Amino acid sequence: MQSCLVSVGYKTGVTDPRIARLADLIVDYSLELQPGQVFRVDALDAASPLALEFYRSAIRAGAFPYTSLGLEGTLELLLEHASTEQIEYIAPQQWEEIEELDAIATIWSESNTRALSRVDPARHANYLAAQRKLHNRRWERIAAGEMRWCGTLFPTHAHAQDAGMSLASYEDFVFSACHVDSETAAEHWRLVSSSLHARAAALGAVKELRIMGPDTDLRVSVEGRSWIAADGCYNMPDGEVFTSPVENATEGEIRYTFPAIYHGREVEDIRLRFEGGSVVHAEAARGDDYLKTLLEMDKGARILGEVAFGLNYEIDRFTRNILFDEKIGGTMHLALGSAFSQAGGSNISGLHWDMICDLREDGEVYADGELIWQAGQFLHEPMPAPAPVEATEHA
Amino acid sequence: MPDPRHERFAQVLVDYSTRVEEGDLVLIESTALAAPLVRALYRRVVQAGGHPEVRIGVDGAAEALLARGNDEQLAWLSPRLRGDSREANVRIAIEAELNTRGLTGIDPARQAIFARARSKLRDLTMERAAAGELRRVVTAFPTNSSAQDAEMSLADYEDFVYRAGFLDEDDPIASWQELGERLARLAEWLGTKRELRVITEGTDLTVGVDGRTWIPCDGKENFPDGEVFTGPVETSVEGHVRFSFPAPHAGRLVRDIELRFEGGEVVEAHASEGEDFLREMLAMDDGARRLGEFAFGMNDSVQEFTGHTLFDEKLGGTVHMALGKAYPESGGTNESALHWDLVCDLRGESEVHADGEVVYRNGEFLPDLF
Repeated sequence: MQSCLVSVGYKTGVTDPRIARLADLIVDYSLELQPGQVFRVDALDAASPLALEFYRSAIRAGAFPYTSLGLEGTLELLLEHASTEQIEYIAPQQWEEIEELDAIATIWSESNTRALSRVDPARHANYLAAQRKLHNRRWERIAAGEMRWCGTLFPTHAHAQDAGMSLASYEDFVFSACHVDSETAAEHWRLVSSSLHARAAALGAVKELRIMGPDTDLRVSVEGRSWIAADGCYNMPDGEVFTSPVENATEGEIRYTFPAIYHGREVEDIRLRFEGGSVVHAEAARGDDYLKTLLEMDKGARILGEVAFGLNYEIDRFTRNILFDEKIGGTMHLALGSAFSQAGGSNISGLHWDMICDLREDGEVYADGELIWQAGQFLHEPMPAPAPVEATEHA
Repeated sequence: MPDPRHERFAQVLVDYSTRVEEGDLVLIESTALAAPLVRALYRRVVQAGGHPEVRIGVDGAAEALLARGNDEQLAWLSPRLRGDSREANVRIAIEAELNTRGLTGIDPARQAIFARARSKLRDLTMERAAAGELRRVVTAFPTNSSAQDAEMSLADYEDFVYRAGFLDEDDPIASWQELGERLARLAEWLGTKRELRVITEGTDLTVGVDGRTWIPCDGKENFPDGEVFTGPVETSVEGHVRFSFPAPHAGRLVRDIELRFEGGEVVEAHASEGEDFLREMLAMDDGARRLGEFAFGMNDSVQEFTGHTLFDEKLGGTVHMALGKAYPESGGTNESALHWDLVCDLRGESEVHADGEVVYRNGEFLPDLF
């Protein structure tokens, strides 16, 4: 009788060197994986080539890696056929793992980004609510500095299709956004990091931002709030500075030129008017009902939870994926809903909906009356800041 | 549209082999090559009220670890592996490799470190299975790599695999139950014997089985199945044996293994190919030099050697014996990190004697014994 399955593996095909560089970048730079640390790679089967490179990179770093690969299509089966109890089930070992892990890398890599379009939303919500308990514990440990996490994407036809690109062009887009088309990716990100930290420090002195653009004139108070440099530790690619605005101060109008996507549904040409911090008028050319439903979710859904500058200029187009879109160089995004407590924000909501405003053509931003941003660029380099203090983010 | 054979395969594994019940935590372990069967199993487990968890291996990870990991990394057991071994009620493991020789270049001594560390989990799995806390089945999904080893096209190999599992029949479960009844009678009859002697070309081996339990295997722990096995008396094995079939193990192949036993222990070992690996495996620990299993292959739907142990050891007209760990339910006590099944073809001129009496000739038991 045969007693066990001996899993033998080898690598399919020839590896694109950019895949290995992406893994090395996240292991060494984003997660700073140390010898002896327990590291899990979460992915779907389509991301196998990158999962393997993560595994190799972590072995090289002296860590203890393992992979957790799901199979595309099983979640639909669960949501279609399972009882509520089955949908909400969490295997006991998952709780143990979340306590033992020192680092997790999540690879987003779908074979069909619309696979869940027809599942019952209530059942999906049940599933997400059950998983949230596990996620909350993960984020507690990350916030306490006990664990690191980084999310990235492995290019597939499905993501390329959403972007309206061929897979080969999309691969070039993804890998150049991560700067792994060069052999000095980590050096690049260290430079980006110090520049973003300097920008965040400079913005920290600003009381009010006024955003001007086509059909847009919005005043956002950021007084007393901290700006955070998103420099590739939590996301790869990265490249933004963000904060949470003063909750009752937003005034004026904004028009979002890019479609805003929430849970796979697109709302086009959103216009919002704010008074005293809250949305008082909202309309969209397409998806207007959905927009209004989401604004009714709770009280905090009408209030901005985030204001941010997208500063990754390798990302030069809208690709229907928030990992990239919110970092498009020359854009701003302002999210309705929950705020970041580490930035000093206090807005609470079930919603956090990033909407992206393209300022690359006509946009201007004033800080306390002074023009600081024009046509998608800050006008002045900030004074170099002291070396980035990682601890503030992880403390 | 799912392939109806995958649906039937999944149905037999869930309803018959592992009898999934409401609330069972069910692990489905394979690679992405078996995706159609994994999805069919996933749905069937959900419909049976179980909690399916998919474990998809990453091609190349084992090689990366074995080639470059330090000793501590080789021996490390992830919280996932430990948790799975402890918590699962059902495990369905599906072999599906891209390359069955992917570990040929690895230092066997490092494979031994890896295997020794994992043997704790394997022992826990065996104990939980023997105690009725765990039902697990090992099966195989037809792949090009296995078809290549069998020297067949993928289409022919699929037919071979499904035929071996009676999945080409209208009611596979009824056929397994029928074979199971025959094997149960054989196991009971073998339980009355004290000593077996196997004689064929290159082989004259005596194996003590006094007081040991014979287990009929009817598709519940291996699929396909069809064997009866026991754990031989640890100090009893005497003589020599030649394994006519090449022996795959841990991602490589060893050919023409010849062993000589004294007092239950291997005292001489040869192979025409892979002899270094054979010696390294025998040196893994004390138990690796003793037999942990002796078995008769009884599945007449498996008619040809295909280089895949799961099938070869079931081949009607063969015996197999495993170096290393014994299954506790057989009464065997041998402990080892190794469990390596080696198959000996008896379909040519051969005899098996039970307590001095001829009971098996040229691949078949004599009529009317059980």
